[in-house]
Amino acid sequence: MKSLWAVALLLSCWRADASTAPKISADPPEVSNQTSALLTCNMTGSSLPSKGSYWTHNGQVLDDTKSSNTGLTMSLNLEKITHSTSGKYECVFMTEPEAKATIEVKTLPHVVAYKHSEHGNEKDKGVLVCVSHGYPLPTDWSWAKDGDSPMPIFNGTSEKYEIKSTPNKTTLTINDLNLKDDIGDYICSGTSEVGTTFDKIHLRVRSRLAALWPFLGIVAEVIILVTIIFIYEKRRKPDEITDGSAPLKSNSNANHKDKNVRQRNSN
Amino acid sequence: MEERHTCTDKSVLDMTNPKPKAESQSDEAEDPDGGWGWVLVGALFVSTSLVFGLMRSLGIFFVEFVQYFDESAHAISWISSTGLAAQQFFSPLGAALCNAYNARVVVMTGGLLAGLGLILASQATRLYHLYLTMGVISGLGWGLVFTPMVATVMAHFTRRRTLALGLAFSSIGLSSFAFNPLFQLLVEKYAWRGALLILGGLSLNIVPCGALIRPRRRSKAPAKVDSETGSSPVSVLRRISSYLELSLLSERPYVTYTLGITLLNVGYFVPYFHLVAHSRHAGFSEYQSAFVMSAAGASDILGRIVSGWFSDLGHFRLIHLLSAWTTLAGVFIMLLPLSSLSGSYSALMVISLLYGFCSGALTSVVFVVVPLIVGVERMMGALGLLQLIESGAGLLGTPLSGFLKDVTGNYVASFIVAGSFLILGTLTMATLPHYFSCTDPPPPPQRSSLDDKHNGLHSELEHMTSSPSSDTNHRV
Repeated sequence: MKSLWAVALLLSCWRADASTAPKISADPPEVSNQTSALLTCNMTGSSLPSKGSYWTHNGQVLDDTKSSNTGLTMSLNLEKITHSTSGKYECVFMTEPEAKATIEVKTLPHVVAYKHSEHGNEKDKGVLVCVSHGYPLPTDWSWAKDGDSPMPIFNGTSEKYEIKSTPNKTTLTINDLNLKDDIGDYICSGTSEVGTTFDKIHLRVRSRLAALWPFLGIVAEVIILVTIIFIYEKRRKPDEITDGSAPLKSNSNANHKDKNVRQRNSN
Repeated sequence: MEERHTCTDKSVLDMTNPKPKAESQSDEAEDPDGGWGWVLVGALFVSTSLVFGLMRSLGIFFVEFVQYFDESAHAISWISSTGLAAQQFFSPLGAALCNAYNARVVVMTGGLLAGLGLILASQATRLYHLYLTMGVISGLGWGLVFTPMVATVMAHFTRRRTLALGLAFSSIGLSSFAFNPLFQLLVEKYAWRGALLILGGLSLNIVPCGALIRPRRRSKAPAKVDSETGSSPVSVLRRISSYLELSLLSERPYVTYTLGITLLNVGYFVPYFHLVAHSRHAGFSEYQSAFVMSAAGASDILGRIVSGWFSDLGHFRLIHLLSAWTTLAGVFIMLLPLSSLSGSYSALMVISLLYGFCSGALTSVVFVVVPLIVGVERMMGALGLLQLIESGAGLLGTPLSGFLKDVTGNYVASFIVAGSFLILGTLTMATLPHYFSCTDPPPPPQRSSLDDKHNGLHSELEHMTSSPSSDTNHRV
């Protein structure tokens, strides 16, 4: 009897020692396009002691989720899922070695225009930029010109349009801006596995010669002022102009004052 | 004892001999205080705003340049540094040309160049184009405008010099207020190219300002031209050095004063660059920090005008007033970081207002002291050289304060060092001859090299220069 118990004890101990790495079941395994979620992790299949647990978001430890609770369950409540709270969440159990699992929280891409109103000069180039935040980043970007029927713009169809895209930024360059045709709204759309969002940019084209008219107006004003000043001077003091050619002798006014000064000093 | 007696005498004289502005009492060669002089003050107002007010508001363009040329903010900031450096570097040139020819022609040419630089800048396709056009060409234009106009205005006044300059320099603060939103509007409507084109046109308005300068009796140039016959290299060099007033560099009073002003300039600009950052550092919001800066700017304008009016009342010697304003400004600069350390916004605001007032007050007086030291005839060249020498201080001051901030981690050290430079400047000025007397000393006599050739003209010049100073003695 006693030997049977001993064998059973030994067997169970051996089995405990040879236990495999702890299994963590995460629930839900993935969050997609929801406004809120409750993430839970359950550690099963292991009797390794856990010193505590914490969550990380995109690799950064969330300090207020740190707990020294040695329980086998941990949960995180996401009240409002937006593009800033989306990403990869990891639940980490502080065991030897650490046991963790990842839950992906996905949202629609958050597409935002860098500037909602852009200006460009006629015949110059105009640059429209859209950026995206969130997880996952868009895999496809597309541009279209808004109107009664939005016309999509493709890269490389003509020299006029150039599209450069990276996952978090897209740039539409319009060459040789035309006053009539290129003014209007442009739509940038970002598509990821979750869905598509877009934003609008209004492009204004400035005429090249627009600044020329105020400039010529100011130059005309300057010329008129200078002319007035010279004419006024010629008409007010004609004698000073004729005396000005003999600088050593100077004009009669100054001579008067010199005499006054000399008399005063001699007194 | 004797000096105090002279001071009391002065006040008795003032009461018994009221000095009307009648022409017979005037000591100026051509124009008494007032009349055409005030028209020139208006011209100086406009041209100063188009030079310094414009320079200070160019920051609006820098954001556009960074985006268009795809360069760092540091590379773009060199544009305005080049412009300011060129303006100060070419100041002696402007002064020399005025001595050689005619202030009117020089200022009008300077206005044309300033406008041309900006017009060319509107067509720039590379960044170095901007350095050459907005920096060098416009800077050269500005240099040919500022010093000659200031010297001309000062020559037209004796009693109201400081008020005239104070009123004219208030334009810098006022135009900075007006130009910032205006430039923003221009850039929005016309893009930076169009806006620069229009600014070039606006800068051309300096030309009519220069046209307002009446050609004066050229007592200086003919004397030099006649005394130096022939065009041998030696005589040409001597003429150039006399136009540039290089002989001033060997005179102790002038050198002392220039050194004092240079030390002042090292610390003077530090608050302009760092006050907003320091306020944010101390924990105030962006809006609060910007408001502190604006408040200091407003009290700066007020300080210039009030100081101008007060200095001309004649109760104190100008050099004493300058020392007082400089010392106070230095003290307030040093108090700035200490006031915000306590966390009180109102303390920071009060000290900033006081600092703004004192720093504006001293700018009105700085230039007016120069003719008291070197005489009205040499004022033009003296101002040019002063601008050139003090430019080095600006180059030293800002990097030094930035370095101190990087090393210590906050702005306390930078401000304290800046304030101490101002106080050091005051101490330097205290070594001027006759500093502690109640009356201004007479300016030095004309150079003896001209005595042999033109005794008649020379004695006339003596009267011209000595009469204003005898009047100054009464004014104290």
